[in-house]
Amino acid sequence: MECSPTRTGSLITPAGRRLMWRSAVISVFLISFAFFSIWAFFHYRPTGPMAWLLALLPSLGIIGQMAVFGVYLSEEKDELNVAILVKSMLWSIGGTLSVTTVWGYLEAFAHIRRLELLWVYPIFVVFQVISSLVVRWRYR
Amino acid sequence: MKNRLRVLRAERNWSQADLAQRLEVSRQSVNAIETGKFDPSLPLAFKLARLFETTIELIFTDEAKG
Repeated sequence: MECSPTRTGSLITPAGRRLMWRSAVISVFLISFAFFSIWAFFHYRPTGPMAWLLALLPSLGIIGQMAVFGVYLSEEKDELNVAILVKSMLWSIGGTLSVTTVWGYLEAFAHIRRLELLWVYPIFVVFQVISSLVVRWRYR
Repeated sequence: MKNRLRVLRAERNWSQADLAQRLEVSRQSVNAIETGKFDPSLPLAFKLARLFETTIELIFTDEAKG
């Protein structure tokens, strides 16, 4: 039975619970696809359309996660939870843009090690985890 | 924004969880509104006013008014 805040006044709303489940499923797919693609490239050295397909496979999980956030924002009835997610995502986007821009300039002018674009999402996730904890703590 | 939620709630002997249940929001939301850390939307403010059978102005204080 679904635990509703209308019955319990609990911290996690039904929409929040669905977000966690969907994110967990997406994460499993994302990690599986990533490992499968790495394994396939390492063993079979695919080229042409197959290489494109395998390269795009892990990104489907990331696109899916963005969709899950979008669905959550449309489903969540609790204004505070929506505000917390929106604020933390804005901080995460800002942090990711700052880090990648600084790194880009350092790459261009100081010739530091190249940052592969596939690291942008993991950087975003790190900022998302930190900022959501900080934003939620402010409303405690 | 300052408000009288704690007082109104105490008058009815409701816990934060009770109020959250009636408003269909999380207890954390009620706490954040009550402590002035989060301002509710107009629909939620109206819902609060209906629940306490009063007006929004009597629950929330317009601090800019002085």
